[in-house]
Amino acid sequence: MLAALCAVATALAAIESPLVAQERRYVVAFANLTEEPGLTLEGTGFTGREVRDSFVLAARSYPIDLVFYDNGRDCAGAPANVEDAIARKVDLFIQYCHQAPANAMVGEKLKAARIPVLAVNEAISDAPVYTLDNLAAGRLAGDALGAFATRTWRNQPVEGVIIGALTARGVPERARGAQERIVRHVAGARVASLDTQGNVGQVSPLLGKLLAARASSKILVAAMDDATALAAKSALESLGRLSDAAIVGQGLDRSIHGGMSDRKEIDPANRGSIVLGSVAFYLDRYGYEILPLAMRMLRGESVPARTVTPHRLVTAANVFFEYPPYDMQ
Amino acid sequence: MKLAAVVAALLMVLGFSSVAVAQTDCSKLVPASPWGPNDETGATNRVTPAVTKAAAAEIQEGKVIPLSYVLKDGVPLFGSRFTKTILTATTLAPGGALGENNLTYMEDTWLSQSHVGTHLDGMGHIGRQDCYYNRTAMGKYINQNYMTKLGLEHLKSFATRGVVIDAVKVFQAAGKLKTNSACKKPCLDKGTVITSADLQAGLKMYNVTLREGDIVVIHTGWGDLFEQFPAQNAVFNSGQPGIGKDAATWLISQKVVAVGSDNWAVEVIPGESPKEAFIVHNMLLTDNGIHIIENVRTDLIAAEADKTKRATFFFNMTVPRAYGLTGNFVGIDAIR
Repeated sequence: MLAALCAVATALAAIESPLVAQERRYVVAFANLTEEPGLTLEGTGFTGREVRDSFVLAARSYPIDLVFYDNGRDCAGAPANVEDAIARKVDLFIQYCHQAPANAMVGEKLKAARIPVLAVNEAISDAPVYTLDNLAAGRLAGDALGAFATRTWRNQPVEGVIIGALTARGVPERARGAQERIVRHVAGARVASLDTQGNVGQVSPLLGKLLAARASSKILVAAMDDATALAAKSALESLGRLSDAAIVGQGLDRSIHGGMSDRKEIDPANRGSIVLGSVAFYLDRYGYEILPLAMRMLRGESVPARTVTPHRLVTAANVFFEYPPYDMQ
Repeated sequence: MKLAAVVAALLMVLGFSSVAVAQTDCSKLVPASPWGPNDETGATNRVTPAVTKAAAAEIQEGKVIPLSYVLKDGVPLFGSRFTKTILTATTLAPGGALGENNLTYMEDTWLSQSHVGTHLDGMGHIGRQDCYYNRTAMGKYINQNYMTKLGLEHLKSFATRGVVIDAVKVFQAAGKLKTNSACKKPCLDKGTVITSADLQAGLKMYNVTLREGDIVVIHTGWGDLFEQFPAQNAVFNSGQPGIGKDAATWLISQKVVAVGSDNWAVEVIPGESPKEAFIVHNMLLTDNGIHIIENVRTDLIAAEADKTKRATFFFNMTVPRAYGLTGNFVGIDAIR
């Protein structure tokens, strides 16, 4: 009798195991913040296209079929997107939109349709959220600059500059973090704020004016994005003040790092640059970060209420570790 | 005083040796070769006389199908890689001929990197830190000109059976082919992961079972872009379809000698994880001594397999016994 039961159990296990291995496919909707060509997101150099591509690439490793929507920057497309997703009976909805009212509407509609939602960079009621952390990113930049000054310019006058689109979304927190840490490392350092209002062409005149008034100081430049960091370096070069400054950018987009052949400012072969590094925001890896959370939700597992981007300072020393180049073989 | 000096010297030696061990302890990074601690050959150890004899049975009609592309200026090359020939033809100048028989001659100077065109990756091509195939601490075995271990001179014969797997047909049959608009013939798009299930489906199409010592050639259609050189070089180099980690694991389990494909890295690019660099290269070459053959011309043999319903052939390739090289361009034919 026992042997017979064991045999039945074994047979059942044999039947069940292929079912376990063959997980069903899920339909996951991703409503992107915007897919407008050239439009950059979150005060970085990344575009919506890069975010979308990261979902396509990451989905290769999961039993997921993606449906893409474009929220159209101001989330005007959100109502139609969520209606369509509900009609398609998607298994999960990932919402990337900055407008709280639109997100609340999306949350309610999906709740009524019993479709779980995962929010990106802006909370939706009690849904899990994946988000960047501007304050932490700013602190990483401030720490890097401050430590450099302590190491390199001991007993010399050191000042800080926060430069970029200072009123753009998230940037005030980024600036606060950078300032806080510069001052912590370099006691008594003055930190000036230069608002380019998103116009990189303003970097040179603004920085030039400041540097003219600070002829004998060393300058720590906390650039709020990579384009500003590169423009600051260029400005310092034309002013003949390269040896008086150090710069850290924010974002780590493709304008500042490249590959084995596609050399850019942050590169293992360019360790002497005054651009010490850039704080990585990994928007081009959102798919790889977010789809594992989606899979856990789809499988009924719990996920943290808030998952934060693991921001990191990327320099010439670790850029190929963080972003292994594939323009080689 | 003398004792103190001896003790100090001993401590220094111990200190230095422990540092050296820390830098070069490859046993933690790379598996040992199944062919012993002195093995510098890798998977061509599997090409025994019995394997070659069995492969010879594939030659039934004497038909020869090329598996390599012509290497000339303008073919896609990566980054700073180059290949350049310079022709010496001085005796063709008026009065330059030699003797009463007016003998003339020409020679070439070939300035080239080795990993260009249709080429073989040798055991010294890919490592983990400074650890290469069979736990070779490569830092000790390189100089400005070549490696003193794991060079091509250690390779045995590649005279074995070749098997073509037509991934394009597999993806078409499964209704999942996403092609690239730059390809004139059907191709898998860049970033398409070929899994072990895809490989096995491709073998099943021709009722082939892999056997130890085989060389597997995968047709992805991406080579169509190579053939269009230089027009599509940028697209060709921008990524590629290829095998993922699961397929590599399965091929390793089949004890093959080499894996080739009609693209520049055999493995899928962008890779499955953005945090890993050419991980399939590590799996095949560094960990298992299995060669990678890149830019293999696969369209002709895939068409031949489709026409004749036979996917196997005699794999005819010789590799120059060039001392200390990490790889080299090769000529390959499929003989049936």
